[in-house]
Amino acid sequence: MSAPVDNYIALSAVLFFIGVVGVIVRRNPLIMLMSIELLFNAANLALVTYARAWVNNAGHIFAFLVITVAAAEAAIGLAIVAVTFRRSPRVDVDEVATLKG
Amino acid sequence: MIGFWILSILLIASAVFCITAKKPVYSVVGLLVNFIALAAMYLTLQAEFLAVMQIVVYSGAILILFVFVIALLSSGVRPFDVGPDKAPRIAIPAILFGVAALGIIVVTAIRSNPAVVKATGQDTGDAFAFGSVANFGEALFTTNLLPFEVTAFILMVAIVGVVLIAGDEGPGGVVRRKKKRAIEREPILKKERAIR
Amino acid sequence: MLLYLVWLLPLAGAVLLWAFGPQLKSWAGPIGSAMIGVPFAATLALWPDATAPAGLHVPLVTWLNGWSFGLQLDRLSLIWTLVITGVGFLIHVYSIGYMDGDRAFARFFAYMNFFVYAMLTLVLSDNVIGLLVGWGLVGLASYFLIGFWFERPSAVAAARKAFVMNVVGDVGIMFAIFVIVAKVGTIGYADVFAKFGTAFTKEELFLVCLGLFIGCAAKSAQVPLHTWLPDAMEGPTPVSALIHAATMVTAGVYLIARFAPLWNASPDARSLVGVIGAITAIAGAVLGCVQWDIKRILAYSTMSQIGYMIMGVGVGAFEGGVLHFLTHAFFKAQLFLTAGIVIHALHDEQDVRRMGGLRTRLPFAYFAMLIGVLSISGVPGFSGFFSKDAVLYETLAKGHPYLYAVGVVTAGITAYYMFRMLFLTFFGRYRGDVDPSDLGIRHPEFAGTAPSAGHHAEEEEPHHHAPAWLMSGPVAVLIPFSIAIGWLQFGGDTSPWARFFGDFFGTAATTAPVPAPPFSEVVSTAIVLVLVLAGFAVAWLRYCNTAALQNAVPRLRAETVRTPALLWNAYYFDAAYDYLLVRPARALGAAFVRFVDPHVIDAAVREAAISSQWLGHLFRSFQTGLVRAYALSIAFGVLCVVAYYAVAFGGGR
Repeated sequence: MSAPVDNYIALSAVLFFIGVVGVIVRRNPLIMLMSIELLFNAANLALVTYARAWVNNAGHIFAFLVITVAAAEAAIGLAIVAVTFRRSPRVDVDEVATLKG
Repeated sequence: MIGFWILSILLIASAVFCITAKKPVYSVVGLLVNFIALAAMYLTLQAEFLAVMQIVVYSGAILILFVFVIALLSSGVRPFDVGPDKAPRIAIPAILFGVAALGIIVVTAIRSNPAVVKATGQDTGDAFAFGSVANFGEALFTTNLLPFEVTAFILMVAIVGVVLIAGDEGPGGVVRRKKKRAIEREPILKKERAIR
Repeated sequence: MLLYLVWLLPLAGAVLLWAFGPQLKSWAGPIGSAMIGVPFAATLALWPDATAPAGLHVPLVTWLNGWSFGLQLDRLSLIWTLVITGVGFLIHVYSIGYMDGDRAFARFFAYMNFFVYAMLTLVLSDNVIGLLVGWGLVGLASYFLIGFWFERPSAVAAARKAFVMNVVGDVGIMFAIFVIVAKVGTIGYADVFAKFGTAFTKEELFLVCLGLFIGCAAKSAQVPLHTWLPDAMEGPTPVSALIHAATMVTAGVYLIARFAPLWNASPDARSLVGVIGAITAIAGAVLGCVQWDIKRILAYSTMSQIGYMIMGVGVGAFEGGVLHFLTHAFFKAQLFLTAGIVIHALHDEQDVRRMGGLRTRLPFAYFAMLIGVLSISGVPGFSGFFSKDAVLYETLAKGHPYLYAVGVVTAGITAYYMFRMLFLTFFGRYRGDVDPSDLGIRHPEFAGTAPSAGHHAEEEEPHHHAPAWLMSGPVAVLIPFSIAIGWLQFGGDTSPWARFFGDFFGTAATTAPVPAPPFSEVVSTAIVLVLVLAGFAVAWLRYCNTAALQNAVPRLRAETVRTPALLWNAYYFDAAYDYLLVRPARALGAAFVRFVDPHVIDAAVREAAISSQWLGHLFRSFQTGLVRAYALSIAFGVLCVVAYYAVAFGGGR
């Protein structure tokens, strides 16, 4: 292990919040989904780091499950995007605002 | 140590590029770099199997999916067009929030107890040392067998869901299917009447 | 066991008649009467138990430690129970004749039985809570029966008035009983009397007595809560006889006698009660002189006589007061029932100006009324003489010469107005065929007759009449008692009456030694007799000498016109209540309707609606439908959680 655990966790946090900002700021659904992938990856990095720190491969198992779930999420999310914006001239999540009160 | 810093800079830069890129295709490229750098980072943490999985699943499968969808959506007449922002000022609270949260987490991480990094026996060449594929595989198929099976189920549900959502021309398809069913039912009803 | 029967049989009768009245038809009367007659016989059978030193005590249920409910028949409640069931039985029998043909015949007996049950609850209870329950129930029964002919607006108004007045009293008695329960901690009479000396300070004791007396004043028509009693004559005459003459209105006397130890210990309360009793006695008697409605005359005389009783028990002459209750129950019930016979015979005519000369037409009624009048006036040999004399002389002997003087004067006035009623009703010429305006009767409702459409159905179906003995029989039974019951008191301290009670009521504590009365009882009796004779003489001169009888019509007209407004309006008590309480209350209500309701209550409701609408608008603005905004709020929530953990668990280094 070349660097202290703290550095990995800080990196994980930075990546996570870059992802959050991406989800909130971007209006292109594809980029939002990619930001969500960034979130997953940041979480995975933290899991793997702690697994290494405690020498416990449960963290690896968790990361593995997260990758699986991320795959499923990406598939469904992209399917929704494809259906929703198939005929729309604009690819903008602000257009999908039927929940507006 | 130097490797960590190089990878960190690469990770952050690619992530920022990913969320700021104008076109989704550029974002995909940024994300690809990010994933590969992360896989390298996993290697520094002795997670060999995960590093491989990262490249195979994320870079190989998920990113390809993104590229497909981009191709599908941009196959229309016009390229991506983004309308007027309905929440134009949302970026300000979002960035403020991001900074504040980042501050909290980084400060907390730095102030926390340093984890005691134990020796792992990786360097001895033991096949069952921490992080090795054998070690991971044993944990996955013995202690965590049930979660593993559940992931398989989740994936299957996801596939069925995707087929249901996108498979049959969207909402219109449902109507058509109902009509079809009604037609199928008719002769049965006639038969019932005949019996009566 | 027999006491349960006494207590519950009237209730059973009430329920039975209430539920199956229409099916029972004319059997309702006899059944209702039997439900009172059997308890009377049972009470007589319980006489030896009740007069045992400890009395008869039947525990019913123990609720909490020290909170046991039960029935108690001691000497005091024995007297009351006998009167309630005995006189009640006679009045029930009388009612079979009087109420015959009334549409609500069964309902009447149901109410009457219910009243008897309520009254028995009041007097048989061995604890203050039971007393309070009975107190409230008799008020309810009274309300039912005053408003019995609820087609008449005046009856409904009178019932409501009586009920409201009684509730005023109930508040007082509730206050007193709650203080007793709070301070003493138990509810049984025996416990209360054993412990109140240490539990109460002098002031608290006075307040408790005051609260109890407010209840008495309302129930027993004492000044200033008396105004409901004359109005209560809207009820059927048997009701007036049973409830508003013989039993319920004397509940106040019972209450004071029952709480004798408290009054014994509080001279201030005794003075107050004595003074109020005396005021009521003379005020009622004076008002009785100007009334024309035979039942209202009797009502005011009832008020006056209860004033005597209250004065008696107030000054500590408990035996005398209770004896006056006993004799009054008989002669006043007799007077009322006789008045009922007269009213019945004249087809609901109640105005004495339109009677006269009934001596030959209704000889039995005349005889019964004469006995009653002689008794109530205190003519020697009759019951009223003994009991009134006992009360008056005891008042003097306990050191209240002014109250005594008032009582003696009242005795003279009593003789005057009772003979006035007798002469107007039975002597001279019948005036029922005289034009009412010649008698000075301007409005029919002035005389309180208000003949309303067919509440006595027998006018429409004259073929059906109950036998006359049903009404005259009970009166005939009452006559010997009206004469003889007072003789129990004959012999002073060694009389059967004095020996019956012994030192049951204890002796009153006094602040100063009582001076010996200035003259003996014989002298006192002589003074009273002189005044009674004077009253009789004035009544004779005004209403029964030859000139008066010959010129009866113009003289009555002149007297009607010249009636002092102060007396005709009963000292303006009703008007005062109207101005002091009713109108301010109405004005307050109107003010609330105009200002508070629209500008405070409605406004509050409106503002609540508007503000919730505004709040809804506020929250609506969060529902943008924008996924990114939702994501931001989720992220903000995550931030809060992370911040919590950072503050709570972070910072080890």
